[in-house]
Amino acid sequence: MESKKSETPTRGKLTKHDVGMLGIRSIFNQSAMNYERMQADGWTLAMIPSLKKIYKDDEKGLADAMKSNLQFINTNNYAAPLLMGLEASLEENGEKRSTIDGLRIALFGPLAGIGDAITWFTILPIVAGITASFAKQGSILGPLIFFLVYVAMFFARIPIARLGYTTGTRAISKIRENSAIVSHAASVLGCTVIGGLIATYVQITVKTKIPVTAGHTIAIQTQFFDRIFPNILPLGYTFLLYWLLKKKNVSPVVLILVTFILAIALSWLGVL
Amino acid sequence: MQVTLMQGLLIGLFAIISGIDFWWEGFYIFRPMIVCTVTGLILGNITLGIVAAGLTELAFAGLTPVGGTQPPNPIMAGIMTVVLAYTTGKSPATAIGLALPFSILMQYIILFYYSAFSVLTKKLDTYAEKGESKKFTNLALLPTWIVGLTYGIIAFLCVYGAQAPMKSLVNAMPVWLSHGFEIAGSILPAVGFGLLLKSMLKARYVPYLLIGFTAACFIKFGNLMPVAVIGVALALIEYNRSKKDAENDKKLKTAMENSNGGDDEDGI
Repeated sequence: MESKKSETPTRGKLTKHDVGMLGIRSIFNQSAMNYERMQADGWTLAMIPSLKKIYKDDEKGLADAMKSNLQFINTNNYAAPLLMGLEASLEENGEKRSTIDGLRIALFGPLAGIGDAITWFTILPIVAGITASFAKQGSILGPLIFFLVYVAMFFARIPIARLGYTTGTRAISKIRENSAIVSHAASVLGCTVIGGLIATYVQITVKTKIPVTAGHTIAIQTQFFDRIFPNILPLGYTFLLYWLLKKKNVSPVVLILVTFILAIALSWLGVL
Repeated sequence: MQVTLMQGLLIGLFAIISGIDFWWEGFYIFRPMIVCTVTGLILGNITLGIVAAGLTELAFAGLTPVGGTQPPNPIMAGIMTVVLAYTTGKSPATAIGLALPFSILMQYIILFYYSAFSVLTKKLDTYAEKGESKKFTNLALLPTWIVGLTYGIIAFLCVYGAQAPMKSLVNAMPVWLSHGFEIAGSILPAVGFGLLLKSMLKARYVPYLLIGFTAACFIKFGNLMPVAVIGVALALIEYNRSKKDAENDKKLKTAMENSNGGDDEDGI
């Protein structure tokens, strides 16, 4: 009888506040980041108070839950609270261990994709691009806006965790259905802004002048490149780097060093 | 200009805080936008800090820790750009280039830690098996404190310890070399943007890149807001269109299923 009892003990229920705190605790997700299991240790650390409340006196249940949460996971840090909220609701409903683990493992990848598309590839370039234009003129508005945006982003973890918790299993089909569309739209926005960033912030100006006749020279930059299209060199160089990164798998550090060597060599030759 | 001991210690302290923030990806005070500004504030020249913030933030725009990769370190880049501009009197654009070795040094330290912290997983497993949440918590937080402390020590040594040799090195540089560093600093964002494109550019997104590029070339405005608004408009158009497509697909599918009766139950 005793074993039967410990299999289906009553589960505790999380309050709205508890789920919000889970969102805040999702900041621990990378506290023990390592190559073996990536975020798993930090993920479990974030989940502990919720699991404790759910499993109450059921020590075996808690130990099992902690152990299973220690499986490899690597997701976006703003998607993590969503998945944590979802998992908390499943644990609370007493779903099978294998169901919970299966869903977590199935979802962290797609969620990482959409989360990265939105946070790193859309929000960051836009916020960086706009605040940098203030900062370059020495205006405190630049860092101030930047800071406020990311404080707001941090506290968004609370509603994100609640969203995951309340939509529960229903969220899964919704996430699957919409993630492709949302990351598509985010990529459209991101690519448009990166196009703008290339034109605005990559600067290559050729100094060389070609003497045509005595007393008459052609400045390559203003009379040749700028006449074809403004900022054509930055666009060309960015595409060259993109090609090297994507097709040739060159490491970014190598490209940074090559850029430095090229810049210094061309400076010595007086071209740039 | 000289960095005083007190300023060195304060920068070290800030490096601990922002280092932990980077480890956790919490409040993004690890981005050069904030790091440079705070470093400038500590050194008593906040304008220098803010200007460097704009330049360094963009140079690092694409160097993101996505999917467990580690980019050249934004914190050391931010701190050293401002410190080197302050101590040597060079422009922030030149200083970005000079700060790069410090940034790469920290990148490799973090990469080492990613491997090193794998040794903790076994012990954490045993705590989890026994349900010992207190011990688990303490051990799972240990890497964070180690990383924070490392940032503090490295930043202090680079800022305070290395300033004299760095200064004499920079002062001995010929003009073409420091000009080369300055040019490199202004081309560097291309690497970041190339990296961003590597992760997100597909053939079907090229038109949007070109629209954004052309818009920014010809719209003369203080910041990128107009381009961002154009981007939002395009994203909304695409969102609505894809949503409609998805709905139509669904309708089509149910219509086909109905006409087929229950025959395709083992299909799909």
